Amino acid sequence: MPSSTFNFERVIPALPWRRLTLATVLLTALATVAWEIRVRSWGYGPTLNDTDDLWAQQRDAVKPDSIVIIGDSRALYDSDLNTLERGLGQRPIQLAIVGSCAYPILANLVADEKFHGTIICSVLPAIWLAPAGPPIANSEEALKRWRKRTPAQRASHKLGMLLEERVAFLKQEDLTLQKLLLKLPIPNRADSQVPPRLPPYFQTVDPDRRTWMTAQCAEPGPLQTRVETGWIPLFTPPPPPNYMPREAFLKGVGQAIEQRFKDTATAVHKFRARGGKIVFIRFPMSGELRNLEDIATPRAGPWNRIIRESGAPGIYFADYLELASFTCPEWSHLSAPDSVEFTKRLVPHLKVALAQ
Amino acid sequence: MLFNSLTFVVFFAVVQIAYWTLREWNARKNLLLIASYIFYGAWNPPFALLLFATTTMDYWLGARIAAAPAATRRVWLVASVTVNLSMLGFFKYGNFLLENFQWLLARVGVDYQPPHLDIFLPIGISFYTFHSLSYTLDVYRGATQPTRSLRDFLLAVSFFPQLVAGPIVRAADFLPQCDAPPAPRPGRFGWGLFLMTLGLFEKVTLADTLLAGSADRIFGYAGPLASLDAWTGVLAFAGQIFFDFSGYSTCAIGAALCLGFELKDNFRFPYGAVGMSDFWRRWHISLSTFLRDYLYFPLGGNRTGPVRGAINLVIVMFLGGLWHGAAWTFVVWGLLHGLCLAVEHALRNLYKNIEWTMTLGGQLLLSALTYLTVCFAWVFFRAADFPTAARLIRAMVGVLPGGNAILTTREIIQVACVTAGLLFAHWNLRDISIEAAVARLPRQAVIALWTVMLCAIILTQGSGNAFIYFQF
Repeated sequence: MPSSTFNFERVIPALPWRRLTLATVLLTALATVAWEIRVRSWGYGPTLNDTDDLWAQQRDAVKPDSIVIIGDSRALYDSDLNTLERGLGQRPIQLAIVGSCAYPILANLVADEKFHGTIICSVLPAIWLAPAGPPIANSEEALKRWRKRTPAQRASHKLGMLLEERVAFLKQEDLTLQKLLLKLPIPNRADSQVPPRLPPYFQTVDPDRRTWMTAQCAEPGPLQTRVETGWIPLFTPPPPPNYMPREAFLKGVGQAIEQRFKDTATAVHKFRARGGKIVFIRFPMSGELRNLEDIATPRAGPWNRIIRESGAPGIYFADYLELASFTCPEWSHLSAPDSVEFTKRLVPHLKVALAQ
Repeated sequence: MLFNSLTFVVFFAVVQIAYWTLREWNARKNLLLIASYIFYGAWNPPFALLLFATTTMDYWLGARIAAAPAATRRVWLVASVTVNLSMLGFFKYGNFLLENFQWLLARVGVDYQPPHLDIFLPIGISFYTFHSLSYTLDVYRGATQPTRSLRDFLLAVSFFPQLVAGPIVRAADFLPQCDAPPAPRPGRFGWGLFLMTLGLFEKVTLADTLLAGSADRIFGYAGPLASLDAWTGVLAFAGQIFFDFSGYSTCAIGAALCLGFELKDNFRFPYGAVGMSDFWRRWHISLSTFLRDYLYFPLGGNRTGPVRGAINLVIVMFLGGLWHGAAWTFVVWGLLHGLCLAVEHALRNLYKNIEWTMTLGGQLLLSALTYLTVCFAWVFFRAADFPTAARLIRAMVGVLPGGNAILTTREIIQVACVTAGLLFAHWNLRDISIEAAVARLPRQAVIALWTVMLCAIILTQGSGNAFIYFQF
């Protein structure tokens, strides 16, 4: 017996849908291929997107005695995993995140009572001490993804990797519709408080999140200039907001920075107390960016204090001639060949530091 | 599983092939049921058990209601309503109720610290609870016969295209379609694919790419805003929520059509509405008709006099607001709509047949007023708290001199262009259907439109967000 009478039927427009579908698929395929050819002519090649899912996949791989790299993009670009594996006897897991303060990641690893391995932690003081904003959000978003990934998201990530390894235009940092719209040369209002734009990234990433700067960016040219000029506004602290008293704002920031120093020391003590090892690293920088960082966060300031209060060993690139002799082509990261050489020279220092 | 994900593309292709390969109707329905539970379990497998339990209970209660003598039928219905709403209340409103209880106790001097319940909200619970509840309500009202097939009822509630974000498909509309395999209809699959493309385009390109960023920045900003920025953020959200939710509904209708099932429209160009009553005949139609049939009419509707009718409207919209989320901002949104509807009804009774309201200019003016009222109410819907809403409204009405300009010129242009296109389309299509609009287009234009939408979806590269209505 029918449950009840159903008297609703959707209208279907009277058009030759089979032919329309075929024509659309054909045109879309042609447009997609044309776009792929175009972006390859601009120097893009197939590579993975460094997404939170890829990060979460690496976080899943952390075992109790793993060697883990955390920190900002310098740890990501400048650490060669193969060289570290040969030098330290174990392949490290790359958990550094572009533009991030790694404190939330450090806290997460320390809170994981089973983990008693080794942490190689890049400290870029201006980012490490950021009280809030994108540096913290970047780390917290990755952690949130790792904690709450659904089976569907895991499957989409695997399928996405299959495509990204073959298709050049799948670049979430540069070639999405949203990012392409950002490139429109439309001037902003004179009084607008618009955050600085992230530099264009030219990189290749593998499933282990080993990240290489592309040769195009390592050589002088328009791309390198665009990346360089992006750093100064990004590393310049924003002015205090005009909707709260300046003193109150600065006091709040000061308290947050003090808290970060304390939290860092507490986390390190707790981790080392259960047998874990940690070493802080200051990776190289060059040019005007180095001048800016040396003035804003001199070595005698935040770096020395983190090392002193945490009691952990630290490797500051400028202290060692063999580490200080590298030049970052775009001021912030090493070229792909230099990152291998730098890591080779870093390994002996790491061994010494981790033996402490 | 999101419609805008690679997993769904593969899932849908596999289901389509398997579904149309099977010849036996029961086997097809079994396949759809399994696929629907996989679709739902792909978020959080244990919640599929909750869905199964809720549905099975309503199936059993539906049979009890139908079999019971008149004196006890109501008891079984009350049992169904109580269990369904308790489930919804626990998962969705547990912490909200505790916080408000704590606040009330504090007013009388009792310092009560309730434990924060670490409750995961099962995705789409508000939708599938209503899917399921509509069955027992309709069996009680005699609007539908109880089904003998548990499998068909499980499929009616869990049918994956409409499971997590609507439309709220009533069992009475779906179950008859389970009786026999769909008759062949030329163009059904192609039109279904076109609707899926349109829905995804609305979601990933228009909502996520062109509007969401501006809305998020404005509603997340802690300082005073320039009037232009505040308006841009609110208009961006008005467009975002329409494209997001309408996009999901359109995808759902298209996906169902590809499988031979017919779902009713959930949106009919709502920003072309003239008046708030007209708006609710066009916005989230499956919810507004659900509330009308199962709440407003049983309360007496407008048959009990103008004052009681107005109170009924406000009650219904208050609960409609609460349905959207466990926060007082949603309640205020619902109350605002309820009050506007009540005022509109009163004005209609007082000023019948006024000539200028029927002219094109009058209709345009009233439509613009409706849109602005809806946008004003969206501020409370989207704002995280009342201070944020108050800050935005002060900026919108221009009482905050020296507010900050935080949007780029590009973002303002984007929002202006999309909003203008949206309003133009809704006004011009308000009296026809999407089917009629597409049928009027030359074939080349359909191909061009479809291709542009597909290319735009590919260009966004799946970086979109989850659908807003999932959280409800």
